[in-house]
Amino acid sequence: MELAVLFLTLVVLLLIGVPVAFALLGATIAAFLAIDLPLVVVFQRMAAGISVFSLMAIPFFIFAGDLMYRAGIATRLVQVAEATFGRTRGGLGQVNVGASMLFGAVSGSAIACASAMGSTLVPLMKEKGYDADYAVNVTATGAIVGLLIPPSHNMIIYAAASGTGVSIGDLFLAGVFPGILTGLLLMIATYVVARRRGYPRGIFPGWRPFLRAAVYALPGLLTAIIIMGGILSGIFTATESSAIAVIYTILVGALVYRTLGLAEFMAAAIQSVKTTAMVLLIIASATGFGFALAILEVPAELANLIGIITDNPILILLLINVILLLLGTFMDMAPLIVITTPIFLPILMPLGIDPVHFGIILMLNLGIGLVTPPVGSVLFVSSAIGKIPVERTVKTIWPFYGALVLALLLITYIPELSMALPNYFN
Amino acid sequence: GRGGRSTLFGTDTHPAEYPTVRAFRYFGDLVEQRSGGRLRVKIFPGGQLGAERDTLEITSFGGLDFNRVNLAPLNSIEPLTTIFSLPFLFDSEAHLRRVLDGKPGERVLASLAPHDMIGLCFYDSGARSFYNTRGPIERPSDMRGMKIRVQNSDLYVAMIRGLGADATPMDLGEVYQGLVQGVIDGAENNWPSYESGRHYEVAPYYSLTRHVMAPEVLLMSKVSWDNLSAADREIVMESARESVPYMRGLWDARVAAAQEALVADGVRVNEVDSEPFRRRMHPVWESFVTSDAQKEIMRAALAMGDGNA
Amino acid sequence: MLDGLKRVNRAASAALLHAGAAGLIVMTAVIGWQVFGRFVLNDSPSWAEQLALILMIWYVFFAAAAGVREGFHIRIVAVQTALPSAGRRLLRLAAHVIVGLSGIALLVWGGELVARTWSHVIPTLGLPRGVAYLPLPLSGALMAFFAVELILEDGMGEDSADVEDGQWS
Ligand code: NA
Ligand code: NA
Repeated sequence: MELAVLFLTLVVLLLIGVPVAFALLGATIAAFLAIDLPLVVVFQRMAAGISVFSLMAIPFFIFAGDLMYRAGIATRLVQVAEATFGRTRGGLGQVNVGASMLFGAVSGSAIACASAMGSTLVPLMKEKGYDADYAVNVTATGAIVGLLIPPSHNMIIYAAASGTGVSIGDLFLAGVFPGILTGLLLMIATYVVARRRGYPRGIFPGWRPFLRAAVYALPGLLTAIIIMGGILSGIFTATESSAIAVIYTILVGALVYRTLGLAEFMAAAIQSVKTTAMVLLIIASATGFGFALAILEVPAELANLIGIITDNPILILLLINVILLLLGTFMDMAPLIVITTPIFLPILMPLGIDPVHFGIILMLNLGIGLVTPPVGSVLFVSSAIGKIPVERTVKTIWPFYGALVLALLLITYIPELSMALPNYFN
Repeated sequence: GRGGRSTLFGTDTHPAEYPTVRAFRYFGDLVEQRSGGRLRVKIFPGGQLGAERDTLEITSFGGLDFNRVNLAPLNSIEPLTTIFSLPFLFDSEAHLRRVLDGKPGERVLASLAPHDMIGLCFYDSGARSFYNTRGPIERPSDMRGMKIRVQNSDLYVAMIRGLGADATPMDLGEVYQGLVQGVIDGAENNWPSYESGRHYEVAPYYSLTRHVMAPEVLLMSKVSWDNLSAADREIVMESARESVPYMRGLWDARVAAAQEALVADGVRVNEVDSEPFRRRMHPVWESFVTSDAQKEIMRAALAMGDGNA
Repeated sequence: MLDGLKRVNRAASAALLHAGAAGLIVMTAVIGWQVFGRFVLNDSPSWAEQLALILMIWYVFFAAAAGVREGFHIRIVAVQTALPSAGRRLLRLAAHVIVGLSGIALLVWGGELVARTWSHVIPTLGLPRGVAYLPLPLSGALMAFFAVELILEDGMGEDSADVEDGQWS
């Protein structure tokens, strides 16, 4: 009954056109009244939901990207990227996915990746004649790859949730090939859509202009090197690197290029705060909503269904994927890892499925949940940066969902993709 | 209030098979049996309902009925709880257990009532020790200049600084990668958490400083407590008390298992003479123990030390 | 009267966004200082993480309140756009009312949250925990205020910004 209240209220409010954050809040309040829980708890969960250090990467990367765009740093970067990779159709789309894979190699956060790539590349892709929805689709789905390519803090959460049997080192190794595979499939989707829409090829401008562009772009290119180098050498954490990116961009924009004035600076800060507030208010409300789902034991009940329905390993994996995709539609990644891991692993391990392999399935599966409505933080941040309604994003995102689901099926049914590297090193 | 509900909600941040959670379940089963099924306790492990600091607030509001937390996050709510978190206060875990089972333990549990929480009993959390990526810590000078991750706590920060190291507050989720990349050199925890967080994979030097023994505590919301009949309160209290020896058995076994497994895995363990460390902690004690009530509990706890037992 | 309200609200909304931007800029400096302190001075500022988190809660809720007035919150407009204009106006009114009620809920129970945690201390800052929660009731009151303007506007038949474009100003 309480569950019906929760979902019916949510659906009605969403359809009326109440903003997603307020629809989630309203549904949670209704459910709390039905369960007879004190309402002050809803607001505690809201505030606690965004009182999370790693979420700081969202405002910082958005801010850094916006500053780069306004100061013209991003334009120079894209000139170089276009000259290098631009000769295929949708070249900037390929650049976006490729950059996401690189970014994923230093940060495990899909939402940080979407913030960073989106705020630099989406405005430029739009300038170059790409449709906004295409730019947003590529950004959102490309950001998922970083969950698989090590390091990934969600894998660390999974290792802890699984008991003591899973090594984080093994998980990191296991994610490499699935991450590359997912990235390649997304690149194919990026190409196919670009071709269908008739996006032009870029033109190689010749070596001399190329080198000149590269030299002009050097301070901007250094951003990536500073971020990666700083993290890998232990100067700062992945989350802190986002603030360093802001500071570096301010210095380069104001002192090197001298294109960043006080007015642009304030405009960038205000725009970043707006985009951040849009996304974080939804994450805040979703945290209260997730509390209600957990108290009502929705994930556990769904998971328990599996044992009743079948004992065929192939079907069990399929069902688990379906259930996780469903749950991921409404809940965020970390709590779902914590709740579902101890339920699924005891079902899977007697069937001979390695917990490391399952960890990789879980990462990609829940990652897909981050780009599906109604609750998908990566989808929201990408749409907000692209300044298009979520519906417009979702309307044309299907080829990219297709690539992700294909990757999920391949990773699920070909364990060697995940296990080859850890087995080789052990 | 949720006077009519028969299913009571409990929360624990540790994973499902951790000793605290198993003891919590044992407690819940006892409550259910003794109430003839009138009271059911449903436990949500793994921190799925929030971090300890957050669920403490929720418990005090009556949003959750039971909560198993470490004493450390209670330090910022009730100053008396700080005493049991003081570094190098206890000679051994035997000393700690005497204190928890005795008058000082009773007083600290009772001190939570004004904050809308009923302290039911203490569970073990063992002794926390330092681990790092560089080499064994034998004396305080070995820690000079090391960046040690600490929880978000003034007491822990003061302790690390008192030992000459750099106290680096960091989210637990970033610690593993922070150790790999060298943002921090070490952290500190008990054997089971050192194992379950898998930090030993990247920081293999575990030095038995046993600096903090802050116990876990099982709480009930005062809102929920007030809704119980006198007989049911007795059932809850008694069941909590009976879960303590059960928990201690599980705990000792878990510590031994974790230690054995990690040593076999190549973790380098070294014993430490704690006296030089303890001497550096007296200024820390003084700055955190300020009220008469705090001093009284500290004196009582010290008087129960191994030398006097 | 509506014009007066609109003027006040426009100024309030702009002030909120500027305060939010200032919060983001200070937060950047705080985390920069954290890295500098740890790596260069070998003396990590223990307060940096908590201060940055509080700043983030504050500016998110401030900007979220401004977002109610500016209409930049993410929402699904498919049903609204499919309806004739009378129906569209009705749904829009209903949505504004829900947002206004949410603001009141933030004010009331967010206020309770502040009151009940004021005696708790934020470690490493020494501030009351309630300080971190204070933006909830404040922004809630502002949201309710802004919602009243939107309700009056739609209710009095003035055509407010087009649904599709107004979202992303
Ligand atoms: Na990654
Ligand atoms: Na989703």
